[in-house]
Amino acid sequence: MLKFRDYSIKKKLTLMNMLVSGATLLLACTAFGAYELTTFRSTMVQNLSIQAQIVGANSASALLFNDAKSAVNTLSALKAAPTVLSGGIYTLAGEPFAVYRRDSGGRTSPLPPMPAGQTEEHWFADKELKLIRSIVFQGKLIGTVYIRSDLQEMNDRLVRYVGIVAAVLSVSLTTAFLLLMTFQRAATRPILQLAETARIVSREKKYSVRAPSTDNHDEVGLLIEAFNEMLVQIQARDAALQTSQEELEQRVTQRTAELDATNKELEAFTYSVAHDLRAPLRHIQGFSNLLMESFASQLEPEAKTFLQRIGEGTQQMGRLIDDLLSLARIGRQEPRLQATGLNSLVQEVLRDLKTETEGRDIHWQVGDLPFVDCDPGLMKQVFYNLLSNAAKYSRPRKPAVIDIGQMSVEGQLVNFVRDNGVGFNMKYADKLFGVFQRLHRKEDFEGTGVGLATVQRIIHKHGGRIWAEAEIDKGATFFFSLASQDDGRQTANAHEGGKNGDSKRT
Amino acid sequence: MAEVNGIRRRAWRRLSRQARFAAMAFALALIGTCNLSAQAPKITEYQVKAAYLANFGRFVEWPASVALAKSESFTICVLGQDPFGADLDAAVAGETIGGARLLAKRISRPQDAVDCRILFISSSEVSQWKEILAALRTLSVLTVSDMPQFTRRGGIIQFLLDGNRVRFDINLAATERVGLNLSSELLKLAVTVSRSP
Repeated sequence: MLKFRDYSIKKKLTLMNMLVSGATLLLACTAFGAYELTTFRSTMVQNLSIQAQIVGANSASALLFNDAKSAVNTLSALKAAPTVLSGGIYTLAGEPFAVYRRDSGGRTSPLPPMPAGQTEEHWFADKELKLIRSIVFQGKLIGTVYIRSDLQEMNDRLVRYVGIVAAVLSVSLTTAFLLLMTFQRAATRPILQLAETARIVSREKKYSVRAPSTDNHDEVGLLIEAFNEMLVQIQARDAALQTSQEELEQRVTQRTAELDATNKELEAFTYSVAHDLRAPLRHIQGFSNLLMESFASQLEPEAKTFLQRIGEGTQQMGRLIDDLLSLARIGRQEPRLQATGLNSLVQEVLRDLKTETEGRDIHWQVGDLPFVDCDPGLMKQVFYNLLSNAAKYSRPRKPAVIDIGQMSVEGQLVNFVRDNGVGFNMKYADKLFGVFQRLHRKEDFEGTGVGLATVQRIIHKHGGRIWAEAEIDKGATFFFSLASQDDGRQTANAHEGGKNGDSKRT
Repeated sequence: MAEVNGIRRRAWRRLSRQARFAAMAFALALIGTCNLSAQAPKITEYQVKAAYLANFGRFVEWPASVALAKSESFTICVLGQDPFGADLDAAVAGETIGGARLLAKRISRPQDAVDCRILFISSSEVSQWKEILAALRTLSVLTVSDMPQFTRRGGIIQFLLDGNRVRFDINLAATERVGLNLSSELLKLAVTVSRSP
């Protein structure tokens, strides 16, 4: 059953009103009933007292002249009062002198004992009213009248009264209920409609609805007005928000386009600069080689060293130009995606790195890697860069341990390359992927500072993400994810690979 | 020990209570039989008649002149041989009617009845009833007697014996003649109310 406070306002109002009117009516009826009862009782006592006095007065002579028959005659007048059960006249000594009984059966009731000094008394007992009056004749006490009356009349009246009360109550409550139904509709309808509107607003997020307003200037009217006003404001704010959002989007698109254009220009510039730098570099390289070969005998050993340095510098510059060109190329071309097994790519890269790592003690631990949709050439560059980096920065370790595998990070499958090398300070992690940004001295670890920038660009081209975690002297781990690494095929594959990979990791 | 004592005490108390009850019942029975045998002779005929005489006055209205003249006392007279003795004096002792003290008086001649409100004529006067009534003709006196034929002969109230009960006849014509007014309350108790003069 619902609790009262969970009732709808309609039910509450009805219940409250019915209870109040019912209680009021009942109280009033009870009060009237009580008044009626006491009045009736006192009237009854009065009437019986009068009868007793009449009987007493009329039987005075009979008492004085000892004529019981006459007294009985007088008493029999009580027949007129149907409620009188019995009446008796008693001598001063308290002996019954004359008796009348409504029902011929029964015995003469002896005069009930009276409190000393008391001659007039009445009391309600045993569903009877008993009344005693003394008979005084010419100032002289000559006897006593004792009358018993039943309360049938009072009970009848009470029953009748209860019936009337029940009828009045039911009719009044029904009327009240009908009236309530009529009036309450006017009072509760606006509230119910307001509640319904609020429900629609909160459920459907529809701010264009309005609670039907009433012309009443009561609290509910004010509430509805305020509610509607609120909805208007929300709608206005919504519209403003929508406009500004659209504006913002438009601006973003515009800026992006501008940035794209600038980027393209920059890339084109880089490419052309790098490309154009090649020709003079070849000249320097070519001529310094010629100088070395053709005039070797004429050159001082010191000059030879200088020439050697020039050769090294030009080689380094050539690598730099190549790297820059490849970086620029990646920016210009779209990756050609095809299903590629990363394991075979890694094996290829490891073959390529063989010469570079000649004489090194490196433990390559390759886990099962997935098949993914990617540009195989670009992805090979990614692995080449990451693996050669790992090999490079773990050079001080004997043995160097390099893990390649796949793992789950925050519910996403990512590939990783981990080494036990020198690591880096995480403070500079954001600089890692910038062009020409290097965290180590060139003297310690060679490099152009373009490799990781290229890797990041390729990963971004594949809709993926790359980041690194490291600690100085404790190695570094590079993670990357690819956009295509989320579909079922890759996941299944990754699971398969996971078994082997796990055995190695844990 | 204490318990045994308690039981004994209680038993004794019950016994004594029963004994007392029996004694009381016996006493009551004794009193009852005494009452029955003593009741009849206790209230004599003339005691009743004396009481009636004392009460008749309460139901009779005398003419205004008489009421004023005899106001200080209400005299009940007995003419002839007094059958009441002390009973009448006992019946009137301390009684009043309409504020007047009741007195009992014995007279030997009807002429002495001037001060009387009520005159009881003894049966001893039965031979002189005519003279007596003639003498009282002009007096507003309520005449009462238990001689037979009294109301027929012009008396007002005549005592009768109905078994053990004392009752009376009334001659209404006689009351009217002397200006007395008898209450209907009294009339309704009379065995017969005659209107013949």
